[in-house]
Amino acid sequence: MNLVFAWLFRVPWVLVLATGFLAMVGALALFSASEGNWFPWAERQLYRAGIGTLLLVFIAVIPVRWIYSWSYIILFGAVLILLALPIIGIGAGATRWIAIGPFNFQPSEPAKIAIILALARYYTSQSPENMQSVIAHILPLICIAVPFGLVIIQPDLGTSAMLLVGSLGVIFVAGIPKRFIAVLAGLAVLMLPVLWSQLYDYQKERIFTFLQPQSDTLGAGYQIAQSKIALGSGGMFGKGFLQGSQSQLNYLPEKQTDFVFTMIGEEFGFVGNVVILLAYFIILMSILLIAVKCKSRFCRLSAIGVSIMLFLYIFVNVAMVTGILPVVGAPLPLISYGGTAMLTVFIGLGMVINAAVNSHVSDNELLI
Amino acid sequence: MLGAGLVGRLYQLQIAQSENYQLLSDKNQFDKRRVLAPRGRLFDSHGRLLAGNSEVFELNMLPARVADLDRWLANVQKLIDLSPDDIERIKKDIADQPDFLEVTVKSGLTQRELARVAILSPVLEGALFHKSFRRIYPQGWMTAHVTGYVSPANQKDVSKNPQLRYLPGLRIGRSGVEHTLEPSLAGQLGVERIEVNAQGKPVRVLEDKPAEAGVDVNLSIDVELQAFATERLRRGKSDVVPLQKQEVQMALLQNDELRAHVTTGDTLILRDERGRLVPPESGAVTVIDIHTGEIKAMVSVPSYDPNLFSGRLSLRDWKRLNEHPRTPMLNRAVSGLYAPGSTFKMVVAAAALEAGVISPSNKIKCEGSFEFGRRTFHCWNEKGHGFVDMVSSLERSCDIYYYQIALKTGINRINNMAKRLGLGEVTDIGLPSEQAGIIPDRDWKQENKGVPWTPGETVVAGIGQGFVLTTPVQLAVMTARIANGKKAVIPTMQAQNGQQPDFADLQVSEDILAMMKQGMRKVMNGTFGTARKYDLKDYGGIAGKTGTVQVKRISKEQREKGIIDNIDRPWKERDHALFVAYAPVNNPRYAISVVVEHGGSGSSMAAPIAHDIFEYIFASEQRQKI
Repeated sequence: MNLVFAWLFRVPWVLVLATGFLAMVGALALFSASEGNWFPWAERQLYRAGIGTLLLVFIAVIPVRWIYSWSYIILFGAVLILLALPIIGIGAGATRWIAIGPFNFQPSEPAKIAIILALARYYTSQSPENMQSVIAHILPLICIAVPFGLVIIQPDLGTSAMLLVGSLGVIFVAGIPKRFIAVLAGLAVLMLPVLWSQLYDYQKERIFTFLQPQSDTLGAGYQIAQSKIALGSGGMFGKGFLQGSQSQLNYLPEKQTDFVFTMIGEEFGFVGNVVILLAYFIILMSILLIAVKCKSRFCRLSAIGVSIMLFLYIFVNVAMVTGILPVVGAPLPLISYGGTAMLTVFIGLGMVINAAVNSHVSDNELLI
Repeated sequence: MLGAGLVGRLYQLQIAQSENYQLLSDKNQFDKRRVLAPRGRLFDSHGRLLAGNSEVFELNMLPARVADLDRWLANVQKLIDLSPDDIERIKKDIADQPDFLEVTVKSGLTQRELARVAILSPVLEGALFHKSFRRIYPQGWMTAHVTGYVSPANQKDVSKNPQLRYLPGLRIGRSGVEHTLEPSLAGQLGVERIEVNAQGKPVRVLEDKPAEAGVDVNLSIDVELQAFATERLRRGKSDVVPLQKQEVQMALLQNDELRAHVTTGDTLILRDERGRLVPPESGAVTVIDIHTGEIKAMVSVPSYDPNLFSGRLSLRDWKRLNEHPRTPMLNRAVSGLYAPGSTFKMVVAAAALEAGVISPSNKIKCEGSFEFGRRTFHCWNEKGHGFVDMVSSLERSCDIYYYQIALKTGINRINNMAKRLGLGEVTDIGLPSEQAGIIPDRDWKQENKGVPWTPGETVVAGIGQGFVLTTPVQLAVMTARIANGKKAVIPTMQAQNGQQPDFADLQVSEDILAMMKQGMRKVMNGTFGTARKYDLKDYGGIAGKTGTVQVKRISKEQREKGIIDNIDRPWKERDHALFVAYAPVNNPRYAISVVVEHGGSGSSMAAPIAHDIFEYIFASEQRQKI
């Protein structure tokens, strides 16, 4: 009994509360997006949040040792699924989805977690001297490059870019010599033209549109233009719940997924948006505090990896709807409608809670 | 740091530039729709309808909701009658405007068509019904030149006021009173502010400012008198032939002129003195109240059916009106220009008296012609009138007398008198495209012809020919001013309801006008009066003046061979027949001007028309008293 209480005491409740708050905001936002109906989005989102919570609790309570030992196999499995996507996948044009029972599932999202775990395990096993050598970093780069390549050929520019930046972030935190950073940056710049030539026309168009949004207000620039109108017209306190004219009258596209932050901004204004960002800030801060407290390198790296992933989601989405970044298709974690992203976030947070309750576990204990 | 950047961006959008984005959002969300106002109606002086609105249903279409236009139109064509012209117009309208704006498919649906389309409307995606108004003119062509007509906004209107484009049912007054009184007849458009979603579908009505109907107007016209005067003028002095007669049907096949009249709705066929089948007379009659200036009748024939323009004028009808040999769209009463001929003699006589170049009793000898310079000027009576004084010069309409006094008076003084009596200037009657006519003087000649005035031209002006041009309404005003004697009467189309308008004083001595009146009276009851057969003794008598205006110069050879009778000349070469008059003589009430184009002579054609019209007026007034 005491053991259970001790366990519960170690759970980061602030993080749990903020997560719950955002999930509720998400449900209400989806309720508004369907003009005041639980159907079709809010209801299903809540259902998924329930499944996500079960997953989160499961991951939080299992011994961290298990996760450590399964991490390579998980990544291997994820890569296998990505490889098999062109055969078993569904979807017109871009093959990103597989069907599991009633759910359509996007394997590239949980692949991010798999990469984080694999990288965390790999760097846990490396000695500080090893870290200084180039050879030590080749395997992680391959671990990143393979899923990245598989996702970019789907083609999914947004997810692959976030996967790349997020996992490079983990390597960076793990500790990489400064000269490598310079080399990597140089390589990235050299890669750009190659990447560009691989882009599809609609992807290029989105980037052009981003650079000059006024050129095409009824075509691709429409989304950005309408999003800015919706946000701007919301003002300080917004037009009120269910009162956003841009959203309710369908001027705002994709208001239930990528542009949900815009809809909240139109209905609850600057204040509403800042409250949401504050909740995310609390989550990110508590993850970083947990990472600092963790004894094991594995836990610390995976928590930081999750926080980087979350931050990228949030930043790319908000920057996109406010017109700072091109429209790449990034959901707002916990709020946007979409099962895979939500489950991925719950799995990631489960991992973080696991790290928090196991912060006393050291790397040596993991190896047993 | 990146997080702070995001908050900063949100601040920029949501606080700093919020107002700007709110405007953009409103522009997205709301659509202002204008609601048509029923046009003000026109009534005659007795409250009889001249122009009204009938409620009609129109079928509109929302192009945004029609996937396959050709199939849609084909389906509609099975239900209602659509001409190739209609189809072409619909396609043009669709191409001209954004696809969320309605296009009129057909207005004025019949009950049958309405029922058919209404039943099938659930499967006709994009079909919309609207109640609209159609302008109707119950008197048709008889009052067309008074009421004018309305028609849909054209490209020019739209470029002036782009909002008109979105009002397919709107009609704009094009001529007549419809045009002049457009601002008050049109009323105020209503406004509906409608919330629209991204697909252009209305969600709810937010604001509803109802349309304000246009102001109804009572015109001074008396429809019964108008009808009588119209019929009387058109008949002239010929006999009416029933249309059904075999010979009429045959003539219609051969005679383009007759056919032009019949196909534009004028089915009166006459037989002239020579037994020929001819169309009705053309010309103008204007009856004016000499105290109030109210126009009691304004006839201009041939005319057109203004109802044709209320919808969309078909090309066929437009062609018929355009190719009609006698310009039915011209309101001859205000826009037709005619030399006044002998009806101008009062002006010349008055100017001469005022100038003191002659006294009423001075006699001038008429020997049938007058040598001046190298030219010979003829009197209409080749045998000459002998000695004539002022009164008998009017009575007998002696031309020689006027050649001589005109020369003595000079063109500038004649011009001055003519202008005071209302000639040579627009009368401000309130009808569009009114012509000013021409009353020449020395400056006018220099400015318009670039050469100085010559005395020979004064001679011709003395009998109201040469450069002198007037409109029938000006002649009526001139007569009214002479009859009134005190006020410079200004004509009006609007009923004054017993109120006396405030006219300026007529700056002509009453003694001079008394001489004119005496002469005009003699025209009707003098032994030699040119219209002595057409006095109206039962109702207090008429004072008038005939005019016969040459339209083609008579050459010396023709004069020597003997002038051909009007009736035997081609219609276009016959003289215009004019007559001006007022009645009753001692207590004048009405003045009239009658112009019969190529009608022959003033005394035999125009004077009897005026006589019958006066008789009609006074007889019906007497009937109403009893």
